[in-house]
Amino acid sequence: MSTEQQVQRFREIHGALRAEIAKVIVGQEAIVENTLTAIFAGGHVLLEGVPGLGKTLLVRTLGEVLDLSFNRIQFTPDLMPADILGTNIVMETPGGRREFQFQRGPIFAHLILADEINRATPKTQSAMLEAMQEKSVTAGGEIRRLSEPFFVLATQNPIDQEGTYPLPEAQLDRFFFKLLVDYPTGAELTEVLTRTTEGIVTSAGKVMNRETLMELQKLVRQVPVASHVKDYAVRLAQATHPKTPTATAIANQYLRFGSSPRGAQTLLLAGKVRALTHGRFHVSFDDVAAVAHPALRHRLILNFEAEAEGVTTDQIVTQILQEVPREAPATKT
Amino acid sequence: MDELQQIEATVKTAALRKRWQMAWAGIWLAFLGGVALFLLTLSAYKLAPLPEWVLLAAAAVAAAALPVGFLCGWMRRQDLPGVARWLDQREQLQERLSTAMELAHRPSAGEWSHLVLRDAAAHARGFDLRRLLPWRLPPAAKWSLVGLVLAGGLGFVPEHRSPAYAQKQRERENIRQVAQGLELLTKHNLEQNPPALEPTSRALEAVMDVTGALVKNPPARGEALRELGKVAEQIQKQAAELQDKPAIRKLDQAAREQAAAGPANPGDWQKQIEALQEKLGEAAGKPEAIEKLRDDLLKAQAKAGNLPAKGTPEGDAARQEMARTLAELAQRSRNLGQNLEGLEEALAALEAGDTDLFLKDLDLAVKDLDQLREMAKALQQMRQQAAKKMGKDLAEQLKYGQAEAAIQTLRKMEAMLQSGQLSAPQMGEILKEVQNALDPAKDYGDVAQKLAKAGQCLKKGLAGEAGQALGEAAREIEQLLEQMGDAQSLAAALEALQRAQLAISTCQGLGACRGLPQAGQGGKPGEGVGTWAEETGWLYYPDKRDQLWDNTGIERPDLDPRGHSDREASRPDNLTPSKVRGQFAPGNSMPSITLKGVSIRGASSVQYEEAAAAAQTEAQNALSQDQVPRAYRGAVKDYFDDLKK
Repeated sequence: MSTEQQVQRFREIHGALRAEIAKVIVGQEAIVENTLTAIFAGGHVLLEGVPGLGKTLLVRTLGEVLDLSFNRIQFTPDLMPADILGTNIVMETPGGRREFQFQRGPIFAHLILADEINRATPKTQSAMLEAMQEKSVTAGGEIRRLSEPFFVLATQNPIDQEGTYPLPEAQLDRFFFKLLVDYPTGAELTEVLTRTTEGIVTSAGKVMNRETLMELQKLVRQVPVASHVKDYAVRLAQATHPKTPTATAIANQYLRFGSSPRGAQTLLLAGKVRALTHGRFHVSFDDVAAVAHPALRHRLILNFEAEAEGVTTDQIVTQILQEVPREAPATKT
Repeated sequence: MDELQQIEATVKTAALRKRWQMAWAGIWLAFLGGVALFLLTLSAYKLAPLPEWVLLAAAAVAAAALPVGFLCGWMRRQDLPGVARWLDQREQLQERLSTAMELAHRPSAGEWSHLVLRDAAAHARGFDLRRLLPWRLPPAAKWSLVGLVLAGGLGFVPEHRSPAYAQKQRERENIRQVAQGLELLTKHNLEQNPPALEPTSRALEAVMDVTGALVKNPPARGEALRELGKVAEQIQKQAAELQDKPAIRKLDQAAREQAAAGPANPGDWQKQIEALQEKLGEAAGKPEAIEKLRDDLLKAQAKAGNLPAKGTPEGDAARQEMARTLAELAQRSRNLGQNLEGLEEALAALEAGDTDLFLKDLDLAVKDLDQLREMAKALQQMRQQAAKKMGKDLAEQLKYGQAEAAIQTLRKMEAMLQSGQLSAPQMGEILKEVQNALDPAKDYGDVAQKLAKAGQCLKKGLAGEAGQALGEAAREIEQLLEQMGDAQSLAAALEALQRAQLAISTCQGLGACRGLPQAGQGGKPGEGVGTWAEETGWLYYPDKRDQLWDNTGIERPDLDPRGHSDREASRPDNLTPSKVRGQFAPGNSMPSITLKGVSIRGASSVQYEEAAAAAQTEAQNALSQDQVPRAYRGAVKDYFDDLKK
């Protein structure tokens, strides 16, 4: 199959996925779009929103349409790492011998729904770190590879913060996107009510399997990026680094830490997916700028002044997008 | 043409068009800069004492900025990737062109490169570069126009210079004009009276050099005065050398006396006499006939006043008698070459019976005759003066310094002696005249020696040698005349220099410092309006004196003597004598002097040397114009000479 055909196939599958998810999820196009972008880029997503906005439903629907193994982990304060990763338990062999045997936890699936991830203790949250980045689990002195593809779609509730444990920066950085789920519009809410209160049963069909997803993920990474577009992504990331020559004024004022290199990687990977979904074979400035908010908002650490003034990372990203020119300024040689 | 070539062609065309536009924008940007510079310079010129060339330089820079701006714009080469990115941005192409051009040269891009190129080429097809890069005036053009308007408006704003600067500029301009006038004057002098002696020529050329330098680059007032003073000293020295010769002194003195007494030479006397003779006609030689005619006319006028009434037999007879008398008088006046119009008109009025008109015309005729009588008297006086002034022989001519007459006499004697047809008595007369002239000729250098030689030759009967010696004497006098001409040229140059110094010192034009009043348009002396003209200027122009006029009854209160002032005895405060302490130069104190008049406070704006030079020039003018009594002249001259030292 030629590249052009692969791209065409990507677009068809992407369109089909959108259509199937739309059968279950009313509205939230941006959330769905960005979630699919993360899926095709091979990244994890942190969904943040008040309860009842369909976060869990979205993830569950994704599990349905992708024909991948799906596990849901409800994070609670008493959840232990072994509850997620699995543990060695004593098992009796047919020969009567007793031996430790690893019992896989729910993380051993392609698609993990980490529901209300901030309710677990940091210890438990940390158990996700290796799995999310290395896509492997170390238990009982043995490293066990997780099956590709591996996605963590975590949700967290911004309200009712009593008894929650904010995710550590290291873990936040491992999420490809952080998506803010907003309230549905009036029309969307009406449609939600119609679907949920009138006994209408909606279900999404499977659109693609694991192998196809892997191929498309590979295709995404092949999308070419011009040097000046790459440079733009780099400059965007560098503009978030406070107290550096490349920092913008707002970054210097309100940020304690800026984006890690993963932020720049995310900008380009997500840009590639967006380019393909928009029918292009290359990444543009607009692609990079369009994904800047979900890619960077959880990677910027606000300082006390920002917290005190109620400045959000989204405002900072918006300002940075305005200040950083798309064309690199001429440098003195 | 493949996709890449198509894209590159489009980008190259856009790059070229963009380059032209950069050059176009560069022109306007540079022009704006030039206009801004000119505006700033003009503003500075209005406020600060900048020379005019600064404005011209700013304008030149503004003009030169146009090609420079064009070149700067044109030299900014447009790289193709940059233009591609610019096109992407302008046409919202989502970086298609720039990515395609980059991927085309990236071997690892593989099939993606082809896809991107095809996509970009499809989008590049519909480009309208004229729409994308239209020719229009850049914003700099608008601001340039605003700048030009501002500069134009600023041109009408009056300059705010310091008074000192304005004064200095006026002084420089005045120096230039004065030097120009002096140069013309000296040039005219050189052309009219070419110098006979080399030193004179050098001195006058030095004046030309200095004036040329002053015209070309006028220095400060003090410097100009110093330069003129140096040349004046040189000329004065040269003139003094010439004046030291007794012969020159004698000739010069004679020329001055003649100038004061009347026409400079016999020719002028003759001209004036001839002019009067022409006007008088036959009456010139018969003053007694005019006198008699006047007496008869006065008698007739007396009779006319007592004519009997018209219509009576006595009255008619008296009128006929009067008519006959007047006709006879008219005939007599015609015989004298004069046509008394008043007399003819009186006759006509008498015949017409208009007694009033008759009397008026008669009165007019009497006045005309009076005028004729005065002219005849003046002619007689001039003849007598001419005869008195002109020496009658060589001795008197030499005695009175009448060099030209003496030369003529000597040439005449030479010719007579050379002819060889003189009798012994005639030779004796010549010998006697020559011997008589020996004493006055002592003042004329070698002339006395030549005359003595001629006398000896005459005694020996050697007429030819005597004639030759007399010719040599004539040549000697001619040379002396030439030297006197040089002295006069030098004196004229010196006077012009002094006037120039005065003009520069007082910051006036050369014309304002004329030594003698001159006739302007309309024949009025001096220049300007009002009574600023020299009232007695006509005295310098003998040709203006040929008509007599009666100024009886004309009142000139401005010329009346005023006598004692009617001011109060107490003196105003500002006229109280005050002591001021001045300085020659920083560090040297000057003795206190007492000034009467307005007390001037503050620092003087005039250099001491300038003031001294101006005062000296003024004093010299006063001396040369005989405004200083003879007894004080030496003291005044010494005072100012000492002051200069």
